[in-house]
Amino acid sequence: MTFEEAQKELEAIVHRLESGEAPLDEALKLWERGEELYRFCRGRLETAEGKIEELASRAEATKP
Amino acid sequence: MKVEAIEYGDRKVYSVGAFNRGVASWLQRLPTVWVEGEVTELRRSDRWASVFFTLKDPQDGSCLGVSIARGQFDALRLELSDGDRVHAYGRPELFEARGEFRLRALSLERFGLGDHLAALERLKAKLAAEGLFAAERKRPLPLLPTRIGLVTGNDAAAKRDVLTAVTTRFPPANVLVAETYVQGPRAAGAVVEALRALCREGVDVLVVARGGGSFEDLLPFSDERLVRAIAECPVPVVSAVGHEQDTPLCDLAADVRASTPSVAGRLVVPDLAQLLERLERSRAGLERGTRRSLDRERRRLDGTHERLARAPRLLLERRRAKLEQAGGRLRALSPRSTLERGYAIVRAGDEIVRSPQAVQPGDPVEVEVAEGSFGARVEERT
Repeated sequence: MTFEEAQKELEAIVHRLESGEAPLDEALKLWERGEELYRFCRGRLETAEGKIEELASRAEATKP
Repeated sequence: MKVEAIEYGDRKVYSVGAFNRGVASWLQRLPTVWVEGEVTELRRSDRWASVFFTLKDPQDGSCLGVSIARGQFDALRLELSDGDRVHAYGRPELFEARGEFRLRALSLERFGLGDHLAALERLKAKLAAEGLFAAERKRPLPLLPTRIGLVTGNDAAAKRDVLTAVTTRFPPANVLVAETYVQGPRAAGAVVEALRALCREGVDVLVVARGGGSFEDLLPFSDERLVRAIAECPVPVVSAVGHEQDTPLCDLAADVRASTPSVAGRLVVPDLAQLLERLERSRAGLERGTRRSLDRERRRLDGTHERLARAPRLLLERRRAKLEQAGGRLRALSPRSTLERGYAIVRAGDEIVRSPQAVQPGDPVEVEVAEGSFGARVEERT
């Protein structure tokens, strides 16, 4: 799943929940899924390292 | 042509003339080709059979001597001056007497900016007809790229602009930079190779950045190979080549065109602060929505419970109402209500008198009215 897909699904869940149309069982399932998506998105942001690399030096490094 | 060598023991030695003739005859086997360059050092004299000039490569300064028959040259009426761009059609030749190598031109054509533009227009029309620039081919950029590939020259400006824009907006961005030629005859091939190498390394969006330059500096970015490579890239490409007013063909084939390298940098990453805010807003909405749903269910449950508690009393009331209704009907049917409306019941002994024939004058009768009864006597019968 991409960040974008996760964010989109999360926002759709919030929309559904805020509409107040979801029955309790569904609401709880949506909440669980939403939390999972939220954690996924946060995770994606936190694991990005901010690495700037040069392709040339990478190629050098991988040479035997 | 057979070139004879003199033998000194086991060493074969050629005379200068023989050597030159040998090389010259070998050169003659090379094909006739078109060569492009700038004219310098044009030398023409009515006493000479040929006109001489030097063709210079404007990119790297390589030089090539050229000769052309004077009659041919004059007939072309090119009126060339130093710096003019020409296409020379000819084959390599060795001037044997001096051992000088040059291009023997058979024809010469002026090739200027206009020709470049015309050639570019033709290529553009051809690629457009193939659908390479079609809007429906354009892919959206990923919102959050895992790794950005950057193809740029080793002139720091464009590279620095992209990197600064990227890291300002989104500090945790990962970027893989391929420095390559972005000018000169090798640029197109080098950029294509860099694009492929970055794709092999795994990137999910590509930026091709090059600062401004002359029309000719930017020509490699209109090279057919490069334009096709960009169109065929497995991931979306942002092109930031030259300035706003330049439109190299690679800009048309790219998925997104950025007016400057900085703009390209901002396009390929999200604004981290905004992204976090949006994410936190979603999370707050998640909690609010779930709570709302819970509250609503609780209210519904409470309502149901209340109705459940009210149910026996309701039943009782309903029964009572029914009973009263029955009572009313009963009362309506009983003789008492009739008496209350002013009627009376007359009894003779135990029998109710319904006919004058049932009594005789002088018979005692009992009269019952609403509020009680009294005795009476029959006077006459009509």
